Amino acid sequence: MILRATVFVGLLVALLMTGPAGHWPPWWLVLAFAGLAAVAAAVPDSPVVAGAGLLVLVWWSVSLGDGVPASVLVAAVALVAAHVAALLASYGPREMPVDRATVLLWARRAGLVLLTVPGAWLAARALRGEPEQPGIWVLGVAVACVATIAGTAAIEVRRTE
Amino acid sequence: MTGWRPTSALGRALVLGAVGVALALVAGDPAVVVLAAPFVVLAAVMLVHRPTREPRIDARLDHVALQEGLGTTSRLTLDGAEDAEYVTRAAGRPPYVAQRPHDGRVGGLVAHGVPAIEISPRRWGRRMLGEENVALYTRWAGFRFGPVVRGGQPVRVLPTTAPYDSRAEVPQPLGLVGRNRSRRTGSGTELAGIRPFLAGDRLRRINWRVSLRTGNLHVVTTRAEEDTGVLLVVDALADHGVSGGVGGAASSMDLTVRAAAAIAEHHVRAGDRVALRVVGRGREQVGYGAGARHLRRIQDRLAAVRVGEAGEGTLHLGVTGGAVVVVLSPMLAESIGTVAASLTKRGVAVLVVDTLPPDAEPAVAEGADPALAALAWRMRRVERSVVLDRLAALGCPVVAWRGPGTLDDVMHRLARRAQVPRVVTR
Repeated sequence: MILRATVFVGLLVALLMTGPAGHWPPWWLVLAFAGLAAVAAAVPDSPVVAGAGLLVLVWWSVSLGDGVPASVLVAAVALVAAHVAALLASYGPREMPVDRATVLLWARRAGLVLLTVPGAWLAARALRGEPEQPGIWVLGVAVACVATIAGTAAIEVRRTE
Repeated sequence: MTGWRPTSALGRALVLGAVGVALALVAGDPAVVVLAAPFVVLAAVMLVHRPTREPRIDARLDHVALQEGLGTTSRLTLDGAEDAEYVTRAAGRPPYVAQRPHDGRVGGLVAHGVPAIEISPRRWGRRMLGEENVALYTRWAGFRFGPVVRGGQPVRVLPTTAPYDSRAEVPQPLGLVGRNRSRRTGSGTELAGIRPFLAGDRLRRINWRVSLRTGNLHVVTTRAEEDTGVLLVVDALADHGVSGGVGGAASSMDLTVRAAAAIAEHHVRAGDRVALRVVGRGREQVGYGAGARHLRRIQDRLAAVRVGEAGEGTLHLGVTGGAVVVVLSPMLAESIGTVAASLTKRGVAVLVVDTLPPDAEPAVAEGADPALAALAWRMRRVERSVVLDRLAALGCPVVAWRGPGTLDDVMHRLARRAQVPRVVTR
């Protein structure tokens, strides 16, 4: 139940975080999105969760333009929390409880993955106003990926030893 | 579904990561990159942990035979599951089976040990236990193996031996060795009498006090101690009442089977020969025998009893001379009453244990008028009481099963009656 609530709240918070930057979503969009998030929470193993996440990305793209407010950090955390909660909820049937060790493992993993968020945010703020350089974003994401994978591998190798 | 397949989580991470980056590049919106970056990383890590080999999953129960109310554990064996990080088990919910966890659904990290499911059958019979769905997840949950169905194992659930003990002697001991006092003299310990010495008598049996008083040698005679044959007749023609499993409400078949198991255990431990004859669809039977292995055979057959009509034909129990027949029945079938009456007339020691629960109600078929069914049930019970009265009038005792000491009084009376000469119908 907590996991499903996290899916619902995480998606909704990710959408509403454009509000503090001065771009509150219209009520009808919030209402429709809440319904979608509720369905995503009910069936976390379905593509509805990905659909709701895509809607969040589109709304952020449409509403903000080239702005990089601090609230995007909260939105990123909420989106990742919703994703991890949906993943844990889809580990088994509805009534199956998820053990504490698994939750802690995924909390650590989510924390590790979220390390990319402040880096991306700082890079976005630093590069804002620079001439169009699409390649730099791809390069940045690739570097973040490699760094995270290397970090994960290092952690797992050390655990195995 | 077998083989490793991408999970919805991997699909979600790929879609959000790829679409987010593409959206940022196309629309020139850096905020979306911040949102998409964790998903790009997640997707990459999930793909890095792509599985390379298929695991083999095997589920086993610790026991294949156990008594109702006792428990066993269903364990999962994973072979070649190095890629698996998390295992999910979802067991079925067969009737009369308790599980821990309650709903049979459990998951856990493979590194912490594959979680086990505890299973406890609550009613005797042959049951298929341990059927379940199993799924495995890779590290970072990018791929899932299954869910695959693992078939259960047939388990013999033996009836609990209801608390039962009896101090009564059996009516007609007629065998070799046992603990029942026989009518004939032999090398027992129970005093039968004192008679003049005859050639062949053992010297240690001479009673010197009587010999000195009378002037002639006298010896002490004792009663032989013999075993007896006990034939258990189980009426499995129908099951009346509702069964709640062990510890719950008992149906007529529950009472019958558990009582039969208890009486069999008591007599086998006393050294008697016990046979079983089931009157029902399966017509299960076990010949006379003694010992722990024979008791186990009887319990196995009781666990396999199939309820239903026995088919056409006259009921023959194959009663041998000297055997005590214990009929365990709700006494609602005419054939059982008839066979008990005819055996009693033949001079066989017959004892009927009434196993109809006091609160038994008929199972009303769908669409049937409940009032009509209730009337039919009342009529049937009236007929039953008439049959029981007639049996009692013939000298066949009928007792309701109530655990320890149920048969003591009637066994004592049957034993006393067996000492008296009587006319029997052949």
